[in-house]
Amino acid sequence: MQRKNRLGFLKNQMMGVLIALTVIFVISAIVSPYFLTSYNMTVVARSLAFVGLITIGQSMLMILGELDLSLGVMAGLCGVVSGILMVNFGLNPWLAMFLSLCLGAALGFFNGIMVTTLGLHSLVLTIGTAGIFGGANLVLTKGVAITNIPKEVQFLGRGDFLGMPVPFVIMIVVLAIASWVILKTPFGRYIYAIGDNTQAARMLGIKVDRVRALVFTAAGTLAALAGLLMVTRLGTAQPSIGETWVLPPIAASVIGGVATTGGIGTPFGAILGASIIAVIENIIVLFGVSPYWQGVVSGFIVVLAISFDSISRRYLRGNG
Amino acid sequence: MNKLTIALVAAAAVALPGIASAADQPGMMKKDSYRFVIIPKVVHPWFDLVNDGAMEAGAVIEAQTGSKVEIVYSAPQQADVVQQNQIIESSIATRPDGIAIDLLDASGNRASLEDALGQGIPVTVFDSVPPPGMPLTSIGNDFCEQAEIASERLVELLGGEGEVAIMMGVPTAPNHAIRAECHEKVFAKYDGIKLVATGIDNDSIETAQKQAAAIMQANPGLKGWVACDAAGPIGIGQAIQEAGKVGEVLMVGLDNLPEMLQLIRDGVADSSSSTKPQMQGYWSVMAMWQQATGIETPKYIDTGIAILTKDNVGE
Repeated sequence: MQRKNRLGFLKNQMMGVLIALTVIFVISAIVSPYFLTSYNMTVVARSLAFVGLITIGQSMLMILGELDLSLGVMAGLCGVVSGILMVNFGLNPWLAMFLSLCLGAALGFFNGIMVTTLGLHSLVLTIGTAGIFGGANLVLTKGVAITNIPKEVQFLGRGDFLGMPVPFVIMIVVLAIASWVILKTPFGRYIYAIGDNTQAARMLGIKVDRVRALVFTAAGTLAALAGLLMVTRLGTAQPSIGETWVLPPIAASVIGGVATTGGIGTPFGAILGASIIAVIENIIVLFGVSPYWQGVVSGFIVVLAISFDSISRRYLRGNG
Repeated sequence: MNKLTIALVAAAAVALPGIASAADQPGMMKKDSYRFVIIPKVVHPWFDLVNDGAMEAGAVIEAQTGSKVEIVYSAPQQADVVQQNQIIESSIATRPDGIAIDLLDASGNRASLEDALGQGIPVTVFDSVPPPGMPLTSIGNDFCEQAEIASERLVELLGGEGEVAIMMGVPTAPNHAIRAECHEKVFAKYDGIKLVATGIDNDSIETAQKQAAAIMQANPGLKGWVACDAAGPIGIGQAIQEAGKVGEVLMVGLDNLPEMLQLIRDGVADSSSSTKPQMQGYWSVMAMWQQATGIETPKYIDTGIAILTKDNVGE
């Protein structure tokens, strides 16, 4: 019964974001004849995929009541390391990518262990580790991109599968797995319980530190995956990859109904939030908004979207 | 009469395809309107000057041909190749008549440029070097010559002796990397000149100021600076002023932003080896317009270099 109530609440919560996204879609389609073209939809889907992967990890951390500000630079570092392994060391590209995913998992685990064993605040800790990972990136590359990424792996970033960009398909698969884990398994229930009330979760016998470390590790792995996919998209390992992936996943999660205090939200809702951001970024260019006005316009649309979400949620609750 | 009619019909049959094919020839088709997209590296005053030149070219085409010209200026908020590629791809979706872009990274931009060409949209590159093997028209100046003019002038000012430093812009930007390499080659020619540091400012005045201040702290014997982007010399100038080293640490700057010109007037910078951003914007639009009418454009259009000193910079 309680489970049914929770799912019902989540549905209502997501319905508001979904309506906001639909309204933005409809207005964009009316105003710009280019918006709904298949090419443009591919562009939006591909740009959503990379930030979307980070958003899934970040939203799980936020449901847990934690935050990792180093995920973006972690993506960049793992991308650069994969490039170095493939190009400079001539390693098999698939092995290089696997090792970089392991690096992402290790870096995420490092953040998790530091939070659990030393009791550090994840926000403050990950500001520091973001500096370390970003610095390591510069030390390794001296700011210069690693070119000549093998063509055999570039389809991961550039290719299509069933008419959809491969990175987007990968993100959908990851989202499905994350949603299943968080909504259908005991591990997912532990995440909600810890995010809701850590002390109560401990008293219930949940291994809080282990769950925390595992979620940080999963988020690190997803960040590495995003970085690797971007490397295959660009065909070069750019040191700047991930620099702009810090705040959008957090904003997307909040727009998508994930509570910053933990215990509420879903990765699916966060992806809806990320979709709103991706569409806004796209329509700003389609509408030819001046670069000096872009921040104002995109910020205004986000405020409008979350207000609309809040109003529609109240309305839905009122009718529920 | 019948014979005359037959002769006229036969003549028309021969002449009409010729007339039709003349209209199909490059440069003979005219559209009522053109829409060109300008994509700079980042939101930056230097690119505003490029946009000014582009608007001027649009107005000239309108005045001369009567066709309406729309210039869409779409700049990434950060010098990030991922963001720039998103703008290229979103712009492709609007089916413009041409895209002119200052590439952040030729290799990293390649996939998106191939997308544009694949969709039949002509691409022109300005202030940067096209990706190897891509037949794109490039508009700019000889980046190496621009750097050599600056570094040779600094060496001359220093009398061929002293410690010097270079401020790089965005390390992955080809034009910035070429300038840095050419500065290094010039300094390497002189035994008395020692290159002690290279900073990276990522085309940000604030970063350039911080980097320059730290480098001057770490190298108290530093005598001169050169830069590889427009933001660099402005940040260096601020750092020199804050350190109270005007006249002690010399600088030969780059480009013609208003702050750069003021630094020359104030004696903080000796001079500037400047590109011509307005001209780059102007000829980018002209090249895109020619391409849109089917005319093949040159591989390279050189907009030249201006040497700005206290004598010609004006009040």
